[in-house]
This record gives sequence, structure tokens and C-alpha cells, in this order.
Amino acid sequence: MRVKLIYSHGVVEKPILSSIVLKTGIPINILEARINAQKGELIISIPASGEKLEEILNLFRESGVQAQEFIETLRIDWEKCVACGACISPCPTRALRFREDWTLELIEEKCVACGICVAACPVKAINMP
Amino acid sequence: MSEKDEEIRSIDEINEKIKRGDAVVLTAEEMINLVESSGLEVAAKEVDVVTSGTFGAMCSSGVFLNFGHSDPPIKMTRCWLNDVPVYKGLAAVDGYLGAASMSETKGFEYGGGHVIEDLVSGREIDLRAESYGTDCYPRRHIETVITIDDLNQAMLVNPRNCYQKYDAAANSSDRVLYTYMGTLLPNYGNITFSGAGQLNPLCKDPNYETIGFGTRIFLGGGIGYIIGEGTQHNPTSGFGTLMVKGDLKQMNSRYLRGASFYRYGTTLYLGIGIPIPIINMRVTRTAALKDDEIYVDIRDYGIAVRPDLRPVIKRVSYAELRSGKVTIGDRDIPSSSLSSYKMAREIAETLKKWILEGTFFLTRPIEPLPRHGKPKPLKVKGRELRVGDIMSRNVITAKPSDDIKEVASKLVEKGIDHLPVVDEEDKLAGIVTSWDLARAIAQDKRRLEEIMTRKVIVAFENESIDVVVRRMAQHNISGVPVVDRMNNVIGILTTDDISRKIVGGRTAL
Repeated sequence: MRVKLIYSHGVVEKPILSSIVLKTGIPINILEARINAQKGELIISIPASGEKLEEILNLFRESGVQAQEFIETLRIDWEKCVACGACISPCPTRALRFREDWTLELIEEKCVACGICVAACPVKAINMP
Repeated sequence: MSEKDEEIRSIDEINEKIKRGDAVVLTAEEMINLVESSGLEVAAKEVDVVTSGTFGAMCSSGVFLNFGHSDPPIKMTRCWLNDVPVYKGLAAVDGYLGAASMSETKGFEYGGGHVIEDLVSGREIDLRAESYGTDCYPRRHIETVITIDDLNQAMLVNPRNCYQKYDAAANSSDRVLYTYMGTLLPNYGNITFSGAGQLNPLCKDPNYETIGFGTRIFLGGGIGYIIGEGTQHNPTSGFGTLMVKGDLKQMNSRYLRGASFYRYGTTLYLGIGIPIPIINMRVTRTAALKDDEIYVDIRDYGIAVRPDLRPVIKRVSYAELRSGKVTIGDRDIPSSSLSSYKMAREIAETLKKWILEGTFFLTRPIEPLPRHGKPKPLKVKGRELRVGDIMSRNVITAKPSDDIKEVASKLVEKGIDHLPVVDEEDKLAGIVTSWDLARAIAQDKRRLEEIMTRKVIVAFENESIDVVVRRMAQHNISGVPVVDRMNNVIGILTTDDISRKIVGGRTAL
């Protein structure tokens, strides 16, 4: 599941994420990070579900980090898409790829809604809601 | 005559078989599979026609339009369709709408390619035209709404389509480039390429034995004809192009799509399919060429030079490009196409269907395409301004250890805003501006090295002014140190220098 973490001023200096990885043994993947001395925002992918996922989310919350499910994603207009591929290689998280029949596929789990593909699409088939 | 030249079957014989309904037609992909499983001899014997296809951005496309005469009539001297300028250097109500012509109100968002798609889709289009008025054409202004049905003619005539293959693109620079090859990420972050490779029409007959003037083709979902080689036709290097024509009124908007490349401009995605009659062994062989036998160069768009001078990073096959990653050094770099393989396949399938149904017959070219020659670059005659012509050579520099207040007073005294910082060996180490200094003094900083910008945007003496002006605008800066190849500062160029020295045009030197 993709999760957005919001670090406030007081907790940016603590190694919270790595502590949780060590404690739970779950290899969390950072998809996007915006951090400075005042605050930070991370989008991570947690390969867990059910109780394990709840446990990890609670560990973040107990450490003073807001953790919420990240549901933003792209909207692809399949009528407009010509399956050219112009959006695929610019995608920083490899969330776009071709299926075997050369139609486009969006892997929502990997998408961080950065918008690079929106500009890259020549036929304006990709939108961010 | 070699064995390869011996005719296996003639185009007339193939057409007879099409008429009888027993022609054997394969798409290029099916041909590849047949040759792999049964060999060339069998394929040559069994197959009459191989169909190819491509669907990609083809900027040199456009449509000749005849609007018909209004009452009172007008000799249109300027004309717009949905605010997109139409070329009007033709007779009174003839015009040419190019795919790359951009809307005067929507800019990059909408252009000639979109108007063409809207016309084919039957949508209403705003027509506006102006004139000076003549005795025979008194009207000076017209505004109305048209659809494709109102036009006497809408003839797609494209001076350059259907590139045989096209060099791929990457970007060595440190910023994102938005190009006609799509979004190119910095530091070789990705590779883009165009063309359908093993499905691409001219790749299937690279010796132009069956494709030539007069060849009937699939064009935008309708019937079209090759009317000659395209502009920039480059057979010597294996980059042939085609000029094509077809009736837009017969076409299908599925295969004509308006498009725009971010911060580049508008274009038309167009579908073309060409039948390859299997007339001899050589054509059998080329019609079965695979992606891993078709090579192009990956070129660096990070260097702002003439296209053929862009440095080659690697020679690579379409198979490697299409695999989704290309290995350069020890890195796997993501690669993706700009043209649609899915649509190329669909076009080859559709053309095959037409032939099998007996609605599409093959033509013998009346002239072959030129087999030699390559395009020339445009020579710029006369001398153009370079950085060295207008930079200040009298450049004042500072050392990283200099005191900020002393430096600030030096700037005030000399009346300058940019101060390159050089190290012990006089090599460029940083830059400070008067704004940096004002802020540093307010923050009570002491030495230049605490505040100087270390990543300096520079220019070289022999660079074109246009290139450097664009660089300054992109980085939102007003001055650049000019360095030599050893990184020694030899001058400085500021927006002041540029406006002062080239004011009143480029003749003020």
C-alpha cells in the first residue's frame, strides 16, 4: 500500500523510518521525498497488509508522524490514449509500462502522482484528478 | 542478373490473385515468424504480399483546402481555422493548413494537427479570413463555421512522412529537456525513440524496389499515394522519407490524431501502411527484417547543436530500444517509444484485411525513389554575433577568502552586479551578485566562500548569443562568466551588455 507520511518540525531529525524498518523487518520503499529542516513529506510503499500494515502505521503515528493512505493517482483517458509510450520512460517510479499487446498499463501502486507523464503525453490522455 | 534479382512473381500476377481471392498476405510480424519457422525459400514461394505499418508524429503533414466562394467573394490573404493560421500564399480560397501551425489563442495546446483531426471527425470549425479587397473580390472580412463536408477539397499532402527509421534521443545535461522527442530527463535519465522498426514500411524495402512514385498505400485510414521522395530524404544513410497524398474526406480520425509536445509545439500522429509485393528473394529477405537487425544511433539532445552534429552516445537496435531498457556503460537506462507499435500493428492488419477482401490492389511504381543522396545543412552566410563579440573583457574577480564588505564596496565603485570568484590558479570557483552581497551583509556573513554560488552557469567565447540568452532565461540569471576550456575566466556577459550592444538590431556591432 502507498502511504503518505508527514513529518512535523519536531521529528524530522529522528531516524523514524529506518527504526521501523529494523523493528518490523518490512522493506519499506521510498517513492518520493520532500524534506527540509522544517518538515518533510514522504510517499512510501509498504509491502504488507492487514495487521502488519496497521502495526507499521501505528508505529509511525506513535513517533509523531502523520501516516495516511495515499490514494492520488492518474486518470488515463483510454479513448484518447494511442499507446505511443511517450509517458513510459520519463516516469521516475516505473509506474507506466506496456502490456504484452503493447497497450499502456498503469501500476497504481507505484504511482506518486508527480505529473511528469501529464506533460509528456502528446494527446493529453493523462490527467490528475 | 543475380538469383536475388530473378522475379518470383509480378505485381500484375499478385493483383490477379487478389481478384480471385487467393492471394497470400501476411503482416510483417507474421512474415518474420514464417521465415524463422520455415525459411526464406518457403516464404518466397508462398507469400505474395507483406503488409507494414507505422503510427507516429509526422510534423511535415498538412492539408490543402478549398473553401469555395462566398457572396460577395473574398480573396483571402490571411486565414485562420479555430484560430490556427492557414497558409494563404495561394489563390483566393485555397489554403494549406500545416500540422505544426499553432493556435494564436491556445498556443502549444492546439494546432493544425488538431484542426485536421477535428475536420476528419466532422466537427464544426470556425473559419475567419481577411483581405484588402479587390475589384473582383470586394469582401474584406469573413467569419463563418464550416465542417469538412462544406469544403470542395480537403487533400492531405504531406511533404515528409514515414521516416525509414529515426535516431533515438537522450539528454546529458543537468535539466529536463522538452523536445520533439518528448520529455528527456537529465543525466541520461531516459531514452526515447520513434518508428515501428520491423513493421516500418521503408525498413521492409530499404532498397526501394517496390515502393516508389505512384505506390498506393494506407493513409490515415483511407487510400493514399506516394507522390515522391519526402523532404530530407536521406537514402545514403538509410533514412529515406516519403511525400504522400490522399483524400482527407475518406480518412478516419482513429489514424489522424492532433498532438502536442510539451513546450515544443503541435503535430499530427498519422497512420501509414504500405504493401510490399514479394517480387524477388532480396525483397523476401528485407520484408522479414527484424527489430534486432535494424539499427539507429542514440543522440545527445543536451548539446544545442545542429541535429546531425548531436553527439552519438551508442548505436542500438530497435529490439534493444523496444525492450524498455538500454545499457550504457554500467547503467540500464529506461527507453520508450513515441510512436505506437500497437497502432502500427493494427494498420498492417487492416491493410492485410483490405487486400484479402479484394478492395485494395497493388500498384507498380512509375518511378523509383532516389537511392542516393543526403540532405545538406543550412549555411549561415555573413558573420553572426558570438559571445566574444559583446562580452566585457575587463572582468573584475574576487577570491573566496575576500571580505564581503570590501567586495561590496568594490561592486558599488565599479557599478557592476556580477562578480566571478576565482581560486589560487585563477580558475572559476563561484559567483556572487550584488543581491547575494546585500543579503550576506544583512545576515552578518564574513567571507565570500560562505555565500558564493558554486555551481556557476557559464558561457564560452565562441557560443552563439541566442544560445546563451536562452540559457540565462532558463536559469533566471542576468549574467554569466565567460570561461576558456581551462575554466579560466576571460570575460563576463550580462543582459546589460546584450541590450546595450545589440539594441536597434544586429547591425550595431
